[in-house]
Amino acid sequence: MTHAVMCEDLWKTYQRHRPLGVKSLLLGADPPRDTRFAREWALSELGFQVPRGRSFGVIGPNGSGKTTLLSILLGTVKEDRGRVSLSGRVASLLELGAGFHGDLTGRENVFLYGSILGMRLAEIRRRFENIAEFSELEGAIEQPLRTYSAGMIARLGFSIIIHSAADILLIDEVLAVGDASFQAKCLRALREFRARGGTLVIVSHNMKEVTEVCDEGICLDLGRVVDAGPMAGVAARYQERMAAADPGKVKGGALGKR
Amino acid sequence: MFDARQTLELLYLLVKKELKVRYKNKFLGYVWALVNPFAFAFVYWIAFKFIMRMEIENYSLYLITGMFPWVWLSAGMVAGTRSFVVNASLIKKAPLPRAILPLGNVAQEMVHFAFALPVIIAFVWFAGEIRPSASWIWQVPLLLALQLAFVYPLALGFALANVYVRDIEYLVGIGLSLLFFATPMVYPITMVPEAYRRWFELNPLHAMMQSWRSVFLQSTLDFNHVAYAAACAAVTGVIAWLLYRKLAPRVGELV
Repeated sequence: MTHAVMCEDLWKTYQRHRPLGVKSLLLGADPPRDTRFAREWALSELGFQVPRGRSFGVIGPNGSGKTTLLSILLGTVKEDRGRVSLSGRVASLLELGAGFHGDLTGRENVFLYGSILGMRLAEIRRRFENIAEFSELEGAIEQPLRTYSAGMIARLGFSIIIHSAADILLIDEVLAVGDASFQAKCLRALREFRARGGTLVIVSHNMKEVTEVCDEGICLDLGRVVDAGPMAGVAARYQERMAAADPGKVKGGALGKR
Repeated sequence: MFDARQTLELLYLLVKKELKVRYKNKFLGYVWALVNPFAFAFVYWIAFKFIMRMEIENYSLYLITGMFPWVWLSAGMVAGTRSFVVNASLIKKAPLPRAILPLGNVAQEMVHFAFALPVIIAFVWFAGEIRPSASWIWQVPLLLALQLAFVYPLALGFALANVYVRDIEYLVGIGLSLLFFATPMVYPITMVPEAYRRWFELNPLHAMMQSWRSVFLQSTLDFNHVAYAAACAAVTGVIAWLLYRKLAPRVGELV
């Protein structure tokens, strides 16, 4: 079986490389306080495989390493140990509006963002009509992006990546923004993408959504895989643990210190 | 993931974006790109020619022909140094070749300079009665390429350093202000006492700026200056490339 995405014994720490200022050069760096967000390993001995044409969900509390994992898959952050391999073209929608510019029109942003994703100009030109149509932005596509609402930006971003001819899509919690009808359209498009042999890795806090979209998945906590298997089971067990946790000290919330 | 053509297309779109943002108000946008160097030149002309009464021949021509390439150099360097920090979200969220970001800034400033060329040519023509020369057809593009090759590795190196030590961007700004007077830009190098002059001549920025001035004012190009600037560009290019290979993978988690 061919794997589209594979991670093996992945380790990552952020501790050793922090930006310095002249102040910390002269006075020495402040020792990091030991909270769950400043643990030694952001990810440790993490491993999973996603076969081609499948969709994989990553869930877990805030600060559990989900975004770090996607960044490593995407190649914007480098792993310390372990092996990552992705076969095929990768596109990502990791943050709403990253790579967009407010003074450019929707059309200009399609070209810029498409190019950032590694599409050729000719390719973007060819697909532009489809992208614009999918986004349902109509005349607004000629307006500057700063006039857009968050939902409109999400529409544009999603329309571009779904037309980017990628083999692997990495999506971080961005489907939540659009309205119900557009969300349904996105989910349909993602199903079609998989039917064409595309592979999905999705990070989400929306259990209904990941269960609907993903076949399998993992749950992370403190940078480790605490649960893996069919998505529905992983999501259900995660929700049980969340509910069982003391409501006054929500595990994984911003208040949750160890 | 990015081949040469995709990289060039992305560079083109990034530069186009910057130009569009800067020239949003189209006509005035172009005027503003010219006002800055002229205003600086005017201030120095008042200070040195009018108040201190320095005896320099064709002083306004000397100032203008140096000021425009200097503004390209310093604006490109300052913007390039900040490029990784300013584009943090892009660096974190998209696997684009990171070296393209400072190149975009330096190239954008080069385009501004190229847009200003007709104004420089008109100025030396009307104020200095220097007719446009046919040799400019090869001299100007040569210097454009040389200065791009000279500034880009510096901007890339400082951009990398600025990710690790955030104060670099301020040091670059201060360094450029000092270099402006050391290069020299507002007085000819012949005014520097002879004992110190050879130290001033070691400065590759002097070779670069002197080349621009001699092209515009005499239509000549000193081969030694060109060779020296090119050699410095090659050395900084190699250093910047090594730094980039070593430091770039960590940039994503530090910006």
